[in-house]
Amino acid sequence: MIFALDFFLRRMAQGLVIIVLVAMLIFTLLRVVPGDPVRTMLGPMASAEVAEQTAQKMGLRDPIPVQFAKYVGQVVTGDFGRSFVRSAQGASTGGSRGGATFDASNRAPVMGLILTAVPYSLLLAGLALGISLLISLPIGIAAGLKSGKWPDRLALYLSSIFVSLPNIWLALVLIFLVSVKGGLLPAIGYQNWTYAILPAFVLAIELSPVFIRSASVAVSSNMLEPYVAAGQIRGLSRARMILVHVLRNAMIPLLNVLGIQAIGLLLGSLFVIEYAFNYPGVGLLMINAVFQRDFPVIQAIAILACTLLVLVNILVDFAATNIDRRLQY
Amino acid sequence: MTTRRQILAGAGAAMAFGALGMPLVANAQSKKTVVLASMGPLTGNFDPTSHTTLGQGNFEKIVFSHLTRAPMEEGKTDILEPDLATSWQIIDEHTIEFKLREGVKFHDGKVFGAEDVKATFEYASDPSRPAASYYPGRVDVEVVDPLTVRIKTGKYGYPASTFWFVSSFLPILSADDVAKPDLLQQRPNGTNAFKYVKTEGDRSYLEANEEYFGGRPKIDEIVYAYVPDANTRVLGLMNGEYHIAERLEPEQYESLLSNNTVAVRKGLSTENKYLHFRCNKAPFDDPRIRLAAAHAIDRDQILELMGDAAVASSCFVSPMKFGYTEIENYPRYDPEASARLLEEAGFPGGAGLPQLEYITSIGFYPKTKEYGELIAAMMMEVGFDVQLTVLEPAAWEQAIYRGGDGQGAGHMCDVGWMTGSPEPDLVLRPNWHSGAALINGVSDPEIDASLDKERGTLDPAERLKVLASETFPLMAAKVPSFSLFSAVNFHGAAKNLKGVYYFPSGPIDLSKADFA
Repeated sequence: MIFALDFFLRRMAQGLVIIVLVAMLIFTLLRVVPGDPVRTMLGPMASAEVAEQTAQKMGLRDPIPVQFAKYVGQVVTGDFGRSFVRSAQGASTGGSRGGATFDASNRAPVMGLILTAVPYSLLLAGLALGISLLISLPIGIAAGLKSGKWPDRLALYLSSIFVSLPNIWLALVLIFLVSVKGGLLPAIGYQNWTYAILPAFVLAIELSPVFIRSASVAVSSNMLEPYVAAGQIRGLSRARMILVHVLRNAMIPLLNVLGIQAIGLLLGSLFVIEYAFNYPGVGLLMINAVFQRDFPVIQAIAILACTLLVLVNILVDFAATNIDRRLQY
Repeated sequence: MTTRRQILAGAGAAMAFGALGMPLVANAQSKKTVVLASMGPLTGNFDPTSHTTLGQGNFEKIVFSHLTRAPMEEGKTDILEPDLATSWQIIDEHTIEFKLREGVKFHDGKVFGAEDVKATFEYASDPSRPAASYYPGRVDVEVVDPLTVRIKTGKYGYPASTFWFVSSFLPILSADDVAKPDLLQQRPNGTNAFKYVKTEGDRSYLEANEEYFGGRPKIDEIVYAYVPDANTRVLGLMNGEYHIAERLEPEQYESLLSNNTVAVRKGLSTENKYLHFRCNKAPFDDPRIRLAAAHAIDRDQILELMGDAAVASSCFVSPMKFGYTEIENYPRYDPEASARLLEEAGFPGGAGLPQLEYITSIGFYPKTKEYGELIAAMMMEVGFDVQLTVLEPAAWEQAIYRGGDGQGAGHMCDVGWMTGSPEPDLVLRPNWHSGAALINGVSDPEIDASLDKERGTLDPAERLKVLASETFPLMAAKVPSFSLFSAVNFHGAAKNLKGVYYFPSGPIDLSKADFA
């Protein structure tokens, strides 16, 4: 119990520093790169004076540290602000400036937009992880058990192919072949869960090489450990040794990969894949927000994604420590 | 100790929970639904006077009717058809009269009448409204009887004929809504063939208006979906998710020509593409340098590069606009004239000129980067030192407009200008009248006077003459911007969807559409 408390307090404090640094970086970068959200909001015929007045009213001309301090003050109360361009009544976007358009009550709360999109992304990410594990675990474990033989080479070849396929290209090709030509699966947008299968498959292909490699390395290195031979000498069957002991121990590096690499990769790829499939998750929300310079939405998603990564890392490390108490993080 | 099994079970439960929380929406097969994949997003404010964005304007055209309808067919740009008005005439210099259709109802049930036209015109033309720049100026509206109105501009000192074509562009609102701006902003309430139902995410839903004065549309529902990526729009069209896809790329148009399930169309738009010179900044504050740059550009090469996506035009407005004419003194490709003008201006062979920044976009219009490189190379041939800056749309949109100090970034910008009616002033005044000059900052009393004169000419035939013989030649001689070509729109639609009308300004009319 004391170990767990100490572990979480220490890791949470470290994580908080990372999150603040990332928030600061994103916040500053958004304001120094070209692209004024006010122009997107007001449309092409707005005069320069109106644009400037609106920017000042929204606090966009305050010094960046002042803006950041105000923002942090908001975020610590759980308020991620309101979208610059999306209205309170729906996910509509920019170009308007009538009457009370920019009053906070007429703009969508960022958290509401994210919470609407999150279930779609969770479904997609969950399916992608599931499909990826289904593809990669049998291949990776077989490669680890038959190190240096054909299953190992097959795993290497497959991983090389998978890792060489650009996800956006694969997405377009699969939509064309499977959905347009084959009519086997729906794609583009979202009507029901079957719309998540094709994008999930693309993500799974991207994730698989990492899983195949770590499963194969973890299993093969465990097979060389003395406890495998010792167990068999004491009468345990090879199958039992593999299923009960080797695979269990091999899970530790796999969990690390799942937490650190896979979740990171998944978060990055979700943006591209959701955009390509026009899939209404957090990734599409983020990409559209970038196009429209919707700063509050970009900041919130970046901070939440960073928080998620930090938390997953902490949980994975904690789980690994629990599986094997010799590990120290 | 937490076991691996417990962790996996927990993760599985979380995924299952996520999946169960998803709405499972079944496609309603009995409804005739058209899903329109739009390239432009909607604003969060459904008051048509609150914005000047293309996407929202296209959406409004489905919900709102107008006094007149301008089909803007090639070669017949001056034709107006009845819509909410059945007839119209110019009474005198400052008065235009519209007779209104009887028996029309708004989507909320209110009966349409003269008071709605009065409320709409007076509200939309109020200079404090954000979209007021779309309209020639302030008006008063006299209600002659419940179905007759007179638009009056006498008090404001400009001719009422300027509302002739604009009558096809100004969406008619309910007077009750105009009186309640909050309600007006929340939902569009028009008299057109489709009623607004709701917005969910990036999809807005409309249903057939049973009481539409033109007859109930055969399509039951329109889903207006914002799909920013052109590839996704096309793939969605090909797999049947979408029935209409806006603004295809020229290459997509080519590749879909032989498709069995998709019909593609191309049509000249109301949009010209311009190379704007920053006229309030050296060296383009000297018309000779601007002319030298224009003479250095071989537009035939640009047209070759653009292929189907562009049509040659030597005018400051598109052939789909009233007043279009091939301007005789429009700058032609003439490197020798370019060199001579540079020498006259004191920069022989370009020596002494600063490096010129040319700002263009990528991912918004077709091939802007490619022809930007071509233009830069052609200008460098005669001695200009040009640096091309290619920006993604949001950064480009910020860069092209002049700031609070009147100055804009760089020295030249690539910009298109699409407007929703045949009226040429919607292009000419925002761009080249010193009262706006949103991008190039030109301030030339002769151009202002000529623009005022053509606007003030009542007789359409006489106005055409003024435009062709005075205004356009003057602009061509001073070339504050160089119109490169007229843009072509590409659309794709399900082959069995018939009766769709594509306006050259972007909106799509589905009131007569049906699935064959």
